[in-house]
Amino acid sequence: EEWNVSLWGKRRAFTEQVEKLAELVSDKTNGEFTLNISYGGLSNNRENLDGISIGAFEMAQFCAGYHRDKNPSITVLELPFLGVETLEQERALSMALYQHPAVKKDLARWNATILMPSPLPQYNFAGVGEPPETLDAFEGLAVRATGGIGAAMETLGAVPTSMSATEVRQALDSGVVKAVSFAPHAHMSFGIVEKAEWWTTNLNPGTVNCPVVANTDALEGLSDEHREALIGSIEEALNHYIDYYQNQTMAKWGPTLDERGIERITYPDETLAAFEEAAAAPAAQAWIEENSARGLPAQELYDFTLETLAELKSVN
Amino acid sequence: MAMEPIDIGLAVTGGLLVLVVLGMRVAFAAGLAGMIGLIWIFWAKKGYAGEDFGWALTVAVKTAGQVPHSKVSSQALSLIPTFIMIGYLAYYAGLTRALFEAAKRWIAWVPGGLAVSTVFATAGFAAVSGASVATSAVFARIAIPEMLKIGYDKKFAAGVVAAGGTLASLIPPSAILVIYAIIVEQDVGKLLLAGFLPGMFSALVYALLIVGLALTIKGFGPPVGGFTWRERFVSLPPALPILFVVVTIIFFVYNPFGGDAWGTPTEGGAIGAFVVFLMALYRGMRWTELKDALLETAKLSVMIFTIIWGVLIYVRFLGFADLPGAFADWITGLSMSPMLILVCILLAYAVLGMFMDAIGMLLLTLPVVYPAVMALNGGEFVSAADSTFGMSGPMCAIWFGILVVKMAEFCLITPPIGLNCFVVAGVRDDLSVQDVFKGVTPFFIADGVTIALLVAFPAIVLWLPGQV
Amino acid sequence: MSGSSLVLSDDSRLSRIDRSLYRLERVFALLSGLAVFSLMLLAVASVGGRNGFGQPLPGYVDWIEQIMPLVAFMGISFTQRDGGHIRMDILVGQLKGRWLYAAEFVTTAAILLLMVLLVWGTWAHFDRSFDFAAPMWSRDSSMDIALPIWPAKLLAPVAFSVICVRLCLQLWAYGRALITGTAHPVAVPLVMSAAEQAAMEAEHVSGRDV
Ligand code: NA
Ligand code: NA
Repeated sequence: EEWNVSLWGKRRAFTEQVEKLAELVSDKTNGEFTLNISYGGLSNNRENLDGISIGAFEMAQFCAGYHRDKNPSITVLELPFLGVETLEQERALSMALYQHPAVKKDLARWNATILMPSPLPQYNFAGVGEPPETLDAFEGLAVRATGGIGAAMETLGAVPTSMSATEVRQALDSGVVKAVSFAPHAHMSFGIVEKAEWWTTNLNPGTVNCPVVANTDALEGLSDEHREALIGSIEEALNHYIDYYQNQTMAKWGPTLDERGIERITYPDETLAAFEEAAAAPAAQAWIEENSARGLPAQELYDFTLETLAELKSVN
Repeated sequence: MAMEPIDIGLAVTGGLLVLVVLGMRVAFAAGLAGMIGLIWIFWAKKGYAGEDFGWALTVAVKTAGQVPHSKVSSQALSLIPTFIMIGYLAYYAGLTRALFEAAKRWIAWVPGGLAVSTVFATAGFAAVSGASVATSAVFARIAIPEMLKIGYDKKFAAGVVAAGGTLASLIPPSAILVIYAIIVEQDVGKLLLAGFLPGMFSALVYALLIVGLALTIKGFGPPVGGFTWRERFVSLPPALPILFVVVTIIFFVYNPFGGDAWGTPTEGGAIGAFVVFLMALYRGMRWTELKDALLETAKLSVMIFTIIWGVLIYVRFLGFADLPGAFADWITGLSMSPMLILVCILLAYAVLGMFMDAIGMLLLTLPVVYPAVMALNGGEFVSAADSTFGMSGPMCAIWFGILVVKMAEFCLITPPIGLNCFVVAGVRDDLSVQDVFKGVTPFFIADGVTIALLVAFPAIVLWLPGQV
Repeated sequence: MSGSSLVLSDDSRLSRIDRSLYRLERVFALLSGLAVFSLMLLAVASVGGRNGFGQPLPGYVDWIEQIMPLVAFMGISFTQRDGGHIRMDILVGQLKGRWLYAAEFVTTAAILLLMVLLVWGTWAHFDRSFDFAAPMWSRDSSMDIALPIWPAKLLAPVAFSVICVRLCLQLWAYGRALITGTAHPVAVPLVMSAAEQAAMEAEHVSGRDV
């Protein structure tokens, strides 16, 4: 049995959990069940959910912010200043939300079942020109920021533009944007570090949520043995992912900044608290209103997210 | 016995060639081959069970049905219609005529003068036009009648225009170079800069070829002399607005004063078009002419976009058949010298380009060929010292880009599918496509020489981008 | 653009339908041209806004993505009518009379098969992005400013339906020419050299005189 898996770009930290999952599943089934990973050959990244719903391939990765209306329920995880501190928290929080009935129903419209997240650290800005030593310096600055991060930056008077990751470097080169929000791995793989003069260490306005899903029929059509091999490997695949991100990607990040003389900008706690206060509540309120209108239990999803996160923090 | 996906891939590819040779319109032949291939792949996956054919058909049709919308709604491709429109607006603004007139008065005194003037006028126009086909289309209206008037062979006159048009894709701005840059994720500004010298070089080689032909062939069009210096100088001001557009576009691609560029190349193209539009308005263009320009733009754009999505349905099928992966493995496993492999790749482009248009060909091949070439040179981040071809990874990407685009442009004038020749024949009722193909044949030699020199002396390509 | 092509007309019902459809196709093609023009204006607004007022056009990329299908699809039937989609005519160029009509009939039918399947496929693509129950009927939105995408997706099946009608008409015309064996088939693009054209026109005129 062979499943086709639709990813995009090239193999990177962001896809390590899928690569690991393929390896584990094949090992556990003695090669009887394999995941055939394609980077961009099977679909556009913004059409991966369509491909899943058609049944063109059995597994795919996508990001919630690519198409809010396709998956409104999980965009709650892209709200600014949720307060997620670690990759482990991001992972556990995502996994918990993915089990929420409203989320399952939302994804069921695409015949999709979420298997696991691609936990990313908090986004931060790297940019060119005068370093924004204070948050006021973002006033009037054109920045690349998507979804909730963009909404948060607007409260600082920044001018957010969103574009897909591959276009960002060109936009920076041509001055269309002056600063770019990414996770560290993307700052490196999309060449932002080659150009950047500064990086904000702790702005932490939020992140994006990119689940890996399976076609529900295909998942149910698996033999018990194969399904067990797949589902039973998720934990280990995510462990590998987080280990890889922390020990390979982040280990490269500090030296990369030093090597290129990129200035680190750290904001004092009270400044950030003021930013959060200005940005978090209005964005959450707007999200709840918009998605209630869509028929989602938006308030419930939002409360569930905050409560789960509080629990996760209290355990550790 | 079920076939392997790769076998299906090869079988359908063979079928596609048959459809094209039978005269099915290329865009649809590619789309149909892709559609049939997808049905086949999905049905094979279910072991060809009779009751599963309906499922396979549905999945294949829906998979193919995503491609047209999702692939054409791209910011990068918006450059193509914009650059085509610049060409037609410039025609109605009288800019092309002014440029041709100036070129005629200054250089038509050399042997084969009017044809040489045409080549240099198209090169000058290339600095505002980013689309080869549009350049050929507008010069077919201006230059061919003048050449016919003084006794040029009709076919050769058409050939000069078809070949001259290809310069527009090397000399910046260039839609196809931007598309290359986006497919391979390289610095657009440097790539556009890199096209300048090879473009001028191509023009020079074309001109030398024409002079040589004029000196050897009896009854070739005569030189056109007798212009006074006064006549020469008064021809310049009407052509000057072109310079203004050129400067505008340059500032968008790359700010020569060292600051930020003013925007993206896509925006630069659109602003260039706007400037030309204002000039055309000033020169008396009204709704009737604008409507004609828009219809011409639409016709050429839709033809190109239909090929794009048709080819991409086929490419999607290739993705499911995993042909690109197999090809990359094969290339990197070859035991030939890297330079020989590179030359073979370029030759393969020449063959493939006979049956495809330039953009379709790049979309089809680059995802496979580009990584293979970068690997041949020693990887994406290799330094010049450690590399196979003696240039760093990014420089190799630029060099290969210019080579591929030059090959793609060469294919615009080779039979049986040479878009520029179709366009010239389409504009001129008294010329068949075959006539244009006959007339353009001498330029194959010129292009062969140019490509060989660009391969042998990468500095022609890399010197300029190396300066920034 | 496939050589010098021209489409003959007469006062038959086929030819009248051909010309009526051509008027519709022309309007669609003009829409496509106007869409290119609007791409230009959009860029001017965006650049002007950014450099002049420090305020870029919100959702610039999203708007471009909405406009591109107009550019790419609306003229498809117009171009097919005039024989503007390129092909390799070395082989068909050698054919004459009924052989030619038979070959054209077969390849036209193949295009029709593809386009009918694509009307289905692109409609399904539209349908997945459309939901009567959702705000703005949207089940798929653009990345930056969350514009509904269904209107842009709908353009593909609409334009492809028009070319399906055009292809049926061309099949009718080739079929009729195949039966009658006429030298002057109407409502289909003819590929010919200038000499043939001139000869044919002369013949046409003299034929009327008799
Ligand atoms: Na150009
Ligand atoms: Na060709």
